[in-house]
Amino acid sequence: MAKYAFFLGCIAPLRYPGLEAATKKVMQHFGIELLDLNGASCCPAPGVFGSFDLWNWLVIAARNLSLGESLGADLTTICNGCYATLQEAWHILKEDPGKRRSVNEILSKINRTYNAKTGIKHVIEVFTNDIGIDKIKSSVKNPLEGLKVAIHYGCHFLKPRKIRGHGSSEKPHILEDIVKALGAEPIYYKEKLLCCGAGGGVRAGNLDTALEITARKLKSVKEAGADCILHPCSFCHFQFDRGQVELRERKGLEFNIPVIHLVQLIGLAVGIDPKSLGLYENEIPPTYLDKLGLG
Amino acid sequence: MKTLENPRVGVFVCECGGNISDVVDVKRVVKAASEWENVVVARHYTYMCSKPGVELIRQSIKKRGLNRVVIACCTPKMHRKMFERNVEEEGVNLAFLEVVNIREQCSWVHHEDPEGATLKAIDLIKGAVKKVEKATPLYPGKMPVKQAVLVIGGGIAGITAALRVAETGIKVYLVEKEPTIGGHMAKYAKVFPTLDCAQCILTPKMGEVAENTNIELLTLAEVVSVEGVPGDFKVKIKLKPRGVDVEKCVGCGACNRVCPVETVSDFDEGLGKRKAIYIPFPQAVPSAYVIDFNSCTKCGKCVEKCPRKAINLDDTEKEIEINVGAIIVATGFKLFDLSEYGEYKYGIHPNVITALQMERLMNVTGPTSGAIVRPSDGGEVKKIGYVLCAGSRDTNKGKPYCSRVCCLYAIKQALMMKEFMEGLDIWIHYIDLRAAGRRYEEFYKNAQIEGVKFVRGKVSEIIPDGDQLIVRAEDTTLGRPIENRYDLVVLCPPIVPSPEITKLAEILKIPLDEDGFVLEKHPKLDPVSTKREGIFACGVILGPKDIQTSVSEAEGAAAKAINFLIQKEKIIEPNKAYLATPEECDACGECIEVCPTEAISIASDKVEINEILCNGCGACIPACPKEALDLKGLSDEQLMAEIEGVLTGSESEIKILAFVENEIAYTALDLTGVARLSYPSSIRVIPVPSTSRLKLKHILYAFAKGADGIMFLEAPEHEGPFGKAHAIAEERIENYRFDIEDYDIDSVRIWFSKVYVPDWRKLVKVFETFDRMIKDEGPIDQETRENLLKKLEEESE
Repeated sequence: MAKYAFFLGCIAPLRYPGLEAATKKVMQHFGIELLDLNGASCCPAPGVFGSFDLWNWLVIAARNLSLGESLGADLTTICNGCYATLQEAWHILKEDPGKRRSVNEILSKINRTYNAKTGIKHVIEVFTNDIGIDKIKSSVKNPLEGLKVAIHYGCHFLKPRKIRGHGSSEKPHILEDIVKALGAEPIYYKEKLLCCGAGGGVRAGNLDTALEITARKLKSVKEAGADCILHPCSFCHFQFDRGQVELRERKGLEFNIPVIHLVQLIGLAVGIDPKSLGLYENEIPPTYLDKLGLG
Repeated sequence: MKTLENPRVGVFVCECGGNISDVVDVKRVVKAASEWENVVVARHYTYMCSKPGVELIRQSIKKRGLNRVVIACCTPKMHRKMFERNVEEEGVNLAFLEVVNIREQCSWVHHEDPEGATLKAIDLIKGAVKKVEKATPLYPGKMPVKQAVLVIGGGIAGITAALRVAETGIKVYLVEKEPTIGGHMAKYAKVFPTLDCAQCILTPKMGEVAENTNIELLTLAEVVSVEGVPGDFKVKIKLKPRGVDVEKCVGCGACNRVCPVETVSDFDEGLGKRKAIYIPFPQAVPSAYVIDFNSCTKCGKCVEKCPRKAINLDDTEKEIEINVGAIIVATGFKLFDLSEYGEYKYGIHPNVITALQMERLMNVTGPTSGAIVRPSDGGEVKKIGYVLCAGSRDTNKGKPYCSRVCCLYAIKQALMMKEFMEGLDIWIHYIDLRAAGRRYEEFYKNAQIEGVKFVRGKVSEIIPDGDQLIVRAEDTTLGRPIENRYDLVVLCPPIVPSPEITKLAEILKIPLDEDGFVLEKHPKLDPVSTKREGIFACGVILGPKDIQTSVSEAEGAAAKAINFLIQKEKIIEPNKAYLATPEECDACGECIEVCPTEAISIASDKVEINEILCNGCGACIPACPKEALDLKGLSDEQLMAEIEGVLTGSESEIKILAFVENEIAYTALDLTGVARLSYPSSIRVIPVPSTSRLKLKHILYAFAKGADGIMFLEAPEHEGPFGKAHAIAEERIENYRFDIEDYDIDSVRIWFSKVYVPDWRKLVKVFETFDRMIKDEGPIDQETRENLLKKLEEESE
C-alpha cells in the first residue's frame, strides 16, 4: 500500500501532539506507511512568510519538499497551512523550470536539489484517493449515529481553486461524504465557509480580530445545534479549541463546542481508543463521546 | 491590358499616419526597394488608402508605365479589394497587384524592435515584388446567385432581418429551434428605457412574419448541413415532430384541457407548470399547439378531443433541403450556468433566481400572473436584492466581459416594481453602473429618485436563512462590509452565446471568438458580416447587446444580404487549381482523393477541375506525382520567387519563414497585431490558401535560400474554409519533417501548429518558443545550403 513522509508542521508537535498520535494510529489501521521526515523545518507559513518574502518562502518550501523526494515519497500533512505552502510551491516548481533552476542553485549550497517529482497530498486526499470512501465505510466499527457535525473546511484546503484542484470552493462535498460514511450527520450552518480567524497572521498580529471571527463562527455552529466542529487542519484546531478559552477569559463568552480533527473522527469510528486519539487533550472536553456511548 | 513582358514594378509604402512609420523606417524601405531590379517607382505616403494616396498610385501607373503594383500597408483583408478596383481601372490586372501587410505583421507587433521591423518589411516587400513579377493575368468568372435567404434564429433580430429581406420580394426561410418565434423578448415584461410592454411591440412583428407570403417559417427546426458556395448554398434542415398539424389547428385548447401530463414550463424558466400538449404563450407564431414528446405519455385523450383532427401522436422527424444565396445567423444567447458559483446558492435555495426568471415572475402572463412572491412559500416579498455581474467581469470562474444590458434591465425591473408594489425595498449591488446609451443615464437617475438603493461592491456570499437570504457584500463607497436580509435575490448572470452556435459555426465554416460569439469580418467597419462571404450575423450572437442595437444590426444584416443577392451574378474568384501541363496527366486520380469539394473528375483520359466547385485550397497540387497541376494566382513559380524574395531582401541574424493559412490562421495573426502584442521579428509570413498547397521542394528551397526554420500555421479541419485540406496539410508537413532529414536539415527546424481564432494570443507563445529553439540551433551553415541547392537543381533535371 501507499507510503507517505509525514510533514508534522509546527502546531501538532508543539501544541496538540494528540493529532500526530491520531494520524499515526489511523494510518496504521488502514495500512498506509508513514515515514519520519527528519530535518523538516517550518513549512513556512503561507500568509506570514509568503506575504513578506515570496522568494525565500519558495526556497524553504522547496527544501522541505526535497526531503520527501530523497525518500521517494510524497509528503502528507494534517494542516491546511502546511498544505497551502507546500502544494503551491510544488505547483510553481513543477510548472516553471526557470524558477526550479534558480531555487536549485540556492539549494545546491546545502547539497540538496528538488525536481518536483514528488509533492504533497493533504490527509483528506489520502483518505479519499488511497483508501477510498467505500473502504472507510466498511471499516466503521462504531457508527457515529446521531452525531451532528458542523464541518469546517478551512480556507487553504480549497482555495485557490485552480491550483488546489478540489472542485468548487464554494460548494464542496468531500468532507460531507466522509462524515456520512462514518454514520454521522453533517449539519448546515450559516457561517460554514467563514475562516476560523487564525490564518494569514491574523492570530499573531491581532488576536482580538481573530477572536471576533472565531466567535461569529462558533455562534453560528451553536445556533445550528452541532455536537462538534469537524475540521482537517491543526491550525484551525488550535484556534477553535484554545480560542474558546480565550473568548471566555477575554470576552466572557461561553461556547463549549468540542473540536475534532478529521483523523480523530475517523479513528473514533473505526474503533481506536478515544484516549490514544488525544481527544482528552483538548481544552474543550469531548462531550459528544457520552452521546455516542464511547465516553 | 498591361502584358507579361518586361515587368515594371511600382512599390508604394504606406505610413498609416504613423501607425507604420513610427516603427518601420519607411524611407529606408523605399530606398532598398528602389535598388531592386525591375522596380521603376518606390514611394511612401501618409495614407495610401486615402484618395490622394490612391491617386498617387494611379498616376504612377499612367506616367511611369507600371504593369506591376506592390502596396505595403495594413492587412490585405482591409483594403485589397479597393486597391484591386483602382489598379484594374488603370489597366493593371488584379493578379499584378500584391498587398503586403507591414502593419499587423510589422509595426504593430515589433514596436520594441524598429530595426527588426524595418528589415522584415523590406523582406516581405521583396517577396511580393518577386512574386508579382512571375504573375499571369487572372479573369474572374460569373455564376448566378440564388435569390433566397436563410435566417437562422427567430428572436427579435431574426424576425427583423427576415421581414426586411422579405419586403424586397426575396424569398426568406426563417428557421427556429423552438415551437414558436419570439425568442427571449417574448418572455420579457417590459423593455428599457421606454417601459413599453414587450409583447405589445413584439407580437405585431411576429404576426407580420406569419402573414408574409415571402417568408417560409420553419419551427422546431435545426440546420444540419450546408454545402455549396456563397451565392449557392445547399442547406439541409431537420424538422422535429410537432405532433400537431399547424394548418388544421385553430388553437381552441381542447387538447390542453384534457392532457393529464403536467411538466415544468421552460417558457416560464422553470417557475411554472404546463401540459405535455401546450402553446408556449397565447400569441405564439405559428399559432398552434405543440406536443412535448419528452413528457407525453401518448394516452390519446387529446386526439379524441381535437375537433379538427389536427393531432398525430406518431408524427416523425423530417428532413428538407433548401437552396439559398445568403445566410443570416441570429441564434441569440442563453444565460451562463451559475452552478459553479456555490456562494450564490442558485439552484440550492428557491428564492435565489435569475433576472430572466424575474421577468417571468413580474409578467402578467407569467406563472404568478405578475405577483412577486417568494418561490419557496408564496410569501410576501418586502425586500429584494439584485446581484449585478454575477459571473460577468470575472476572470476566475465566469466571463471576462461586461454583459452590457444587466445594469439597465435591473433598473427596469426595479422601476416597474416600485410602481406597483408600495413600500418595497430594492437594493442593487453593482461593481460599476454602466448606463451608457441614449436615455439610459436618465433612466438610472429616475431609479435613484424613486428610492432604489444602489450599493457599490461585490457580493461575496449569499447565506440561506429559512425563507430569507442573507447577502454579504462590500460597500466600497462607505468602505465597509455590509450584510442585508432579503426575501428574494435576483442574480444577473453573464450572457453567453446560444450553445447551438458551436456546431452551427462548424457547419457554416465561420470562426467564433474567444468567448464563443461569432467573429465579425471587421469589428469596427464590417460588424454584421462574418468572415465567410455571403454569411451575415446580427443580434446577441455577435456579443451582448440590447434590443435596440439587435434590431439595428438585423436591419444592417438584411441590407448586407440583399446587397449580396442583388448582384444576381456572383464573381467566381479566379484563384483555382488547373491542369497546367495536360500532356503529363495520366488520370491516376491521386488529386481526386484529396480534393475536399469533389471538384475534380476524370473526363476521358485526363482530370478535369470544376471551376465553381474548386475552392482554390491547393491540396491537389502536391498530390500529383507528375507535377501537372498548378494554382492560379499562386503558381509554383510564383511561390519559389516569393520565397527567394522574402529571404534575400535584408541581412538578419536568423530568418523564420511562416506559411500561414489565409483565413483562420491569418485572421488570428492579424488579431495579435490589433492587440499590439509583440513577437520576434524573425518571423516572416507568406500567406497560402492552405499549407497543404506546399510541396517538399518549396520547403527545401526555402532552407537553401536562407530560412533557418519554417513554420506552418494551419486552420483546424472543422473550422477552416477548406475542410479536409487542413487535415491533409498536417499529414503532409509531418512527412516533410522526416524528408528534410535526408537533406541534412534537422527536423526540429519545422514547426506545425493548428490555429484557432479564439486562441490568437497563444500565437505569441508559439512564435517565441520556435524563435528560441531556432536561435539555440543556430543558423544553417552555408555549405549545407549550397549542397541543398545543388541537390535540388539535380533533382529538377
